[in-house]
This record gives sequence, C-alpha cells and structure tokens, in this order.
Amino acid sequence: MKIKMFTAFLVLLACGLGLIVLADNHEEEENNKLVFPKAYTTMKVSDGGKITGVVKFEGEVPKMKKLDINKDKVVCGKTDKYDESVVVGESMELKNTIVYLMDITKGKDFDAKANKPEIDQEGCKFTPHVQIVPVGVRLTMLNNAPITHNVHIFLNDADMGQDINKQQNRMLKKLRIKSIAEAGGPVEVKCDIHSWMKAWIAYVPHPYFAVTDEKGEFTLEDVPPGTYKLGYWHEACGTNNKEPQAVTVTAGGEVKQDFTLKLAE
Amino acid sequence: MRVTFFVLFLLFSSLFTVILVAYAQETPEVSERGKEVYEESCAHCHGIEGRGDGSAAENLLPRPRDFTGGVYKIRSTESGQLPTDQDLFDIITNGMPGSSMPEWESALSANDRWELVAYVKTFYSGFQELEETETTPRLINLTGKVKYSEKSVEIGKVLYTDLGCIECHGNVGRGDGTSAPTLVDVWDFRTWPANLTQGWTFRGGSSTEDIFKRFIGGIAGSPMPAFEGDTFYHFGLTPEESKNFALLEKKVENEEELTEEEQEEYDKLYEKWDTTVLAALDRAEGTELTPEAQKIYDNAMKDVFEKSWHLANYVKSLSPERRPKSAIGKNVLRSQYKEGDLPTLDDAEWGTLTSSYYPLVGQVIVESRQFNPTIDSVNVKSFYNDTEVAFLFTWDDRTNNTTVEETEDFGTSYIDGLAIQFPVKVPKGPTDEKPYFLWGGKKPVYLWQWMASEPESIKELTAKGINNAEEQEDQGTVQVNSEYKDGQYRLWVKRALKTEDKKDLQIEPTVFVPIAFSAWDGANGDVDTKRGISSWYTFVLEPVPSSRRFIYPPIVALLSLGLLVGLRQFVQRRNT
Ligand code: HEC
Ligand code: HEC
Repeated sequence: MKIKMFTAFLVLLACGLGLIVLADNHEEEENNKLVFPKAYTTMKVSDGGKITGVVKFEGEVPKMKKLDINKDKVVCGKTDKYDESVVVGESMELKNTIVYLMDITKGKDFDAKANKPEIDQEGCKFTPHVQIVPVGVRLTMLNNAPITHNVHIFLNDADMGQDINKQQNRMLKKLRIKSIAEAGGPVEVKCDIHSWMKAWIAYVPHPYFAVTDEKGEFTLEDVPPGTYKLGYWHEACGTNNKEPQAVTVTAGGEVKQDFTLKLAE
Repeated sequence: MRVTFFVLFLLFSSLFTVILVAYAQETPEVSERGKEVYEESCAHCHGIEGRGDGSAAENLLPRPRDFTGGVYKIRSTESGQLPTDQDLFDIITNGMPGSSMPEWESALSANDRWELVAYVKTFYSGFQELEETETTPRLINLTGKVKYSEKSVEIGKVLYTDLGCIECHGNVGRGDGTSAPTLVDVWDFRTWPANLTQGWTFRGGSSTEDIFKRFIGGIAGSPMPAFEGDTFYHFGLTPEESKNFALLEKKVENEEELTEEEQEEYDKLYEKWDTTVLAALDRAEGTELTPEAQKIYDNAMKDVFEKSWHLANYVKSLSPERRPKSAIGKNVLRSQYKEGDLPTLDDAEWGTLTSSYYPLVGQVIVESRQFNPTIDSVNVKSFYNDTEVAFLFTWDDRTNNTTVEETEDFGTSYIDGLAIQFPVKVPKGPTDEKPYFLWGGKKPVYLWQWMASEPESIKELTAKGINNAEEQEDQGTVQVNSEYKDGQYRLWVKRALKTEDKKDLQIEPTVFVPIAFSAWDGANGDVDTKRGISSWYTFVLEPVPSSRRFIYPPIVALLSLGLLVGLRQFVQRRNT
C-alpha cells in the first residue's frame, strides 16, 4: 500500500515537472512578443485620460555598429548607416520601444493616420525602424530611388502563417503588402537584396500602442478611465510580459510612467 | 492516510486526462507504415520528431528541413500557400538536386512514398487545418504557356533585369549577383542563388514549368521572393497604357504642369492600376472578389502570365537541357592538333571546340572535409602543336576571392584556386596502377596549382599525398593567363610537351594521360584539404591528322585508275 502510494506520488511528481517544463518552454517564446486582449470593441472615448512617459536605457550602451553598405553604393551609401537595434540618446533615452496597453478591451478606433502605415526605403534603410500596423490594414512600402528591394516579412517566426516575400523592383515606387487578420509580432522585415536593411512590424488589434521617439518619449491618448497593464517591447531589451506595470487612468487625467530597460540576457 | 491517497488519486487522474487531451489534440491519426518508413529512411536527417535535427543534420547545408515550421520550397502553389500532396510526393520521389535530400524513387515503393506524404504532413498543424476547413492550396495557373522561341527569350531577358532577378542571379545567371554573397535563409544559414546556367542543380527541376512556378510562387524559406502580379510594373495596364502612363509619371516627377486632358488620362490610368492591385490584395487576403473585380484581375493576369512565360523561357535558355556527360568513354578530352602558335586566352578559336566536363564532389575523406561543395565542375578544352600543349580550364564560382578575409557573418573566407593533377609517370596500360587520386601516395603526382591571389602565375608541385605536396625547385616552364567574369573563371595554361625536369609529366601524342582536379571556393570556406575534387579522368592528344592521310586516297585512286586504263589498253592492244 505504502509503496503504491509512493509510486503514485512519484509518477505525479514526474508528470507535474514535465508539465512545468512544457509550460516554461512555451513561455520563453511568448516572452518576446506583444500581449493582446482576447477581444476588443471600439467606442467613442470623450473623457479619456493620457499616459505619458520616458523610456531610458541602463547599463553600458552598446556601440552602434556601422553597417557595411556593400551594394548599390551610389544611392545606399550616400550617408553612413548604423545598426539601429539599440538607439540611445544623450541622457540614455531609448528609441524604438513599443509601449502599449496589454489588456484594454474597449476604447477608441484607429485614426486615419494609423490606418495608412508606411515604411519608406529611402537611402536603403527602413523608416521607421518599428512600425505599428493595425490588423486588417495594408502596409505600404515606399521606394523613391531606382533601386530594387525585396520585402521579406518573417511572419512564420511568430506563428502568424507563411512569410511574405515580394520583390519591389526599381520601377515600383509603391508596393502594398496584404493585411494580416490576426494580431501578432513584432516580426522582422528584411530586404535580402540589401542585407543590412532590417526593421520590425507589430500587427495590433487596437490603437493604444506607441513607439518611443529620439527622446524616449511615448504618449497614449484617449484612454478610457480604468486600471490597465502597461507593457513594453524592445528588440534588444525584451518585454515586461512577466511583470506588467499597472497604471490607473482617470477621466481627463494624465498618468506618468517611465521605464528603465537593460539589455536582455 | 486514506484521504491523502484519494486526493493524490484524484489529482493524478485529472492530470492524466489533461495530458491525454493535450496529446490527443496534437497528434492526429498517424499512418503506422508512414511512421515506420520515416523512422528508417528519413529520421537520421529530418529527426524523429521532424525537427530537422537528425544525427546527420549537422554537417549538411542546406539543413534537412524542419517539418514543424511548414516551410516548403518546391510548390506548385501560390506564395503563402502550403504544397499539395502531389508536390510532396514529387519531391520525395525526385529528391532535391544541389542538396543532400536524396531521391527515393529507386529505394521506396510509390505506396510507401504516399504513406510518407501523409506522415510528414502530421508534423505541421497547418495541413490539418486545411483538411478541417476543406480548403485546398491555391495552384499557380499554368495555362497559356508561350512556346519557346528566340523572340520570347529576348523579351524574357529584359524582364530578368527589370524585375531584378539579376540582383541575386547575376548578369548571365551564374548566381553571382551583387547580393549573392550576403544571402541567408530563414534558418539563418548562408545560402546561394541558384546558378541558372546549371539547371541540373535546381531543387525542383528545370523544365520551363518548374522555373515558372518557382519565381511566381517564390521559394519559401529562401531569400528568393515571389513575383506575383502586383510586383510587375503597372499591373493592370496594357503595354500601350503603361507607356503613356510612364510618360505622364515622368512629367509629374519633374513637376511639369499637366494639361487638363493629360491630368484626366493620368487619373484614369492610375485608378485602373490601383483597382487591379486592390483586387490582387483582396484575393491574397482571402476575400471573395466581385465578378467585376475578378474580371479585372484575370485580365491583368493574362498579361503577367505571358510575361512570366517569356521570363521562364529566358531562364530555360541559359542552361543545357541536361547535365553534360562526364569526360569518359567517347567524351574523353581530346586535345586537338594545330599547326603553328596555339590560341591564347581570348582567342576566338577556342569556340570551335566543345568542352569536356569534369564533375566535382566535396572532399570528405580527410579532415577537414567539405560536405557542401559549391563548384559543380571544371570544363576543359585543349590544343597542341609539335612542341606545346595549351589548356583552357573554365569553372563557375559565384565570388572572386583573392585574399583571406574575416567576414562578420560567414567566418573566414579564403582564396579561390584550381589544381590540375597528373601522374608523374604515365601508366603503361589500363592495368598499370595510377597514383592515389587524392594527390598521390606511394606513386607521386605532378600538379599545377593556381590561386586567384596570383592570377598570372602557376606553381608546379610534386605530391605524395593530400598533405604532402612540395613546390618543385625547377619552376617556370608553365605559362598562364586567367580571367574572372560574371561568376566564371577562365584559366589558360600552356606548357612544352617535353621538359628536362624529371619530376614533370612528359606528354606524348596518342598516349592516354590521367588527369584530375581540385577546386577551392574561398567564400565557401575552402582551404587546404577542404575543397571540391574529382576522381581520375583521362585526356589524350589526338593523333596528328597526318597530311599523308589526305593525300594518299587520291593518289591511290589515281594510281588504280591509271592501272585500269593501262590494263584496258593492254587488253585492247592484245586483242587487235
Ligand atoms: C541525407 C539527408 C536526408 C535524408 C535521408 C532525407 N532528407 Fe529530406 N531533405 C534533406 C535536406 C537537406 C532538405 C532541404 C533541402 C533544401 O532546403 O534545399 C530536405 C527537404 C525535404 C523536404 C522539403 C521539400 C521542399 O519542398 O522544401 C521533404 C518533404 C523531405 N525532405 C522529405 C524527406 C523524406 C520523406 C525522407 C525519407 C524518405 C527524406 N526527406 C530523407 C535531407 C534529407
Ligand atoms: C533576393 C535574391 C533573389 C532574387 C531577387 C531572385 N532569386 Fe532566384 N533564387 C535565389 C536563391 C537564394 C535561390 C536558391 C533557393 C534554394 O534552393 O534555397 C534561388 C533559386 C532560383 C531558381 C532555382 C529553383 C530551384 O528549383 O532550385 C530559379 C529557377 C530562380 N531562382 C529564378 C529566379 C528568377 C527568374 C528571378 C527573377 C524573377 C529570381 N530567381 C530572383 C535568390 C533570388
């Protein structure tokens, strides 16, 4: 009897451990992605509040590597280009961080600007480096120079289906990329023809997403009063998915929430 | 005590159910036979769980496919779609030339190959979703094929540049485009654009249809993009409209004022283009098109497909139909006799000969090995005269590496090179043993070693093994010239048939001489023993086409005629 119980216990323990390992593996993957609400409904927001803040970097600032422009030098090499995975300002302000609400289920709709996302390939560099694209909305790739690019979006890395990879030949000034129905990412976009060109796209279901600018600043406006989880994502510093920041927004009020990020291990 | 046991029991059983349910969701019915064959024939490369991590995987490039990602290169389906069962069956049947994926037609029955199709599909849930929703992947439309003609090839050639195939595949298609040295696949391994002049190295076959499907659907997992309708210039406009629109666009760009009519035309054409692109996007997103939109789309695609067939015809024209036969039997290299000076590197006279083809494989016998060679073959032509022999060696290499360089993404890149190997002593007959093919052994070999770092010189070596080569003291009897252009090396070598040096090969007409090659592609990490090699082949100086042979027959004919005439006269005279 005792032995049986002991065996049962052992088996149970093993199963439990197994499950924990499985779950952990899964979490590891989820940790570098954005978190979205299960559903989102739009409504008019008239008494919304504002969340603002500054994202700063902590630790030794990695040197921005100068990129090797090994092709189409006349156009692409006009100005020096640097790896933009960590862009830090004079007082450690961190650019290109996504700051967003993880769990908002009701709020405003996307505005006209958000519904026209564009990435410019001027000078053989993707601008912006991090682009927010609403689900169901088409991204436009601009190309004003007579240079051929290919737009390679790595959806499969985020289990969002097959990758997109389309050529934008030197005559196509504008190439529209099909919309994605489900939120996900951020996913990388690359140009294989110019191997140094890399950027990120986040496909999002609601408009409460901001990307920090040179000053590390972000603003989320028209947030319906309530308490939310405030999340961030940065390509080299990771996310706060494990410990999201709680913020409480009051009608017409402004909440300040700064973040300090370190390089992810 | 009892209670704890009960609680434990409850916990245990619920956990068990949870696991069972989770498990049941992940594994659909598996074909027992498929699993069995897979584990026997495929798992050492593709891994038991289909993750591409079998025991043999590590040395291979491209890596055996991880089936759990649902990424398939060779499809008859549009970009973003999974392959059909037939696609999978075909790839298992034919293998993937230019990679380590073998063909299974000879080893497995068709039935087993179909079982494998079903089993491989279980590794990726996307296939199940298709089944559950009863959808089939969208096929690339193959109707309206344009017949191969010079005219079609010409049109295709322009598209090759305009659409930007040239960026990766290079000026004449040897895979040496300016982007070629920087490409990585989605699994972060280095990859090279196909050499379009070597159709036999294509993963998915080199028929015009195969080529057409590859660039329209793209090659998932590789940098090669899809060339769908909206990636063509002015999608939806007729050639006439496109020309007009381009003119107007130029004006707008130069900020010239458009007349009212021009503005109207511009808006109309822009709208037409835009509507067509939107229809294509709707379609790609899975929205059902209205009949009008469908019509606009279909009309526009007619033009795109026609262009695509021209392009496929052009790509097809770049490669011989089949891999050339290796230089054995009746394809042995026969050096042609020529009176007077032998042609130099750029002499047009080389064009009068067909080359002999020497296939290379990776050197995998001695550390360090090359499991993924990039040089397919060496092609050779030769002339000789009374005192000298000249060779023209040609081989494709996507990059011209003349120095040792540390690269950031791909490790060290070394110097390109070629070595041509002969025995020191020509075997007396077929039964007389040749030296060991890997740079000799007990019997030494005589080598010409050329490196891209010193393109105007060549070294004579004597070797008794791959790690046991010495430069000959007596150098300089071999002349050399070379060129690298459009992904191809051409190396010209000339030497006296006879030399004073005992360590040299002495060459005589009509004697069959063993010959073998080593080639280094520096960008592929080739250095020292890591290289492409061939086994022994032979070459021979064709017998001097003796002038007498041409004079004799007429003389014989004349003589016999004379004899006949004489005989007749004699007979006639006797009779009278
Ligand atoms: C010697 C190693 C090896 C063995 C054995 C092998 N494969 Fe492969 N296989 C590969 C490699 C390498 C690739 C990827 C080639 C590439 O990406 O260009 C591949 C790719 C594939 C693909 C993907 C085709 C596509 O369109 O992308 C399928 C399907 C496949 N193998 C099935 C099988 C099956 C079934 C077996 C067993 C009967 C098998 N392979 C045995 C090496 C192997
Ligand atoms: C961004 C670089 C790039 C561009 C642009 C590109 N290709 Fe490729 N192509 C590749 C690479 C890389 C491969 C090898 C894929 C593999 O086997 O993994 C390839 C392979 C091929 C193959 C061989 C397919 C096979 O079965 O192995 C053909 C044919 C081909 N390309 C044609 C074209 C044509 C035609 C165009 C222009 C319309 C084009 N490519 C544009 C990179 C490119």
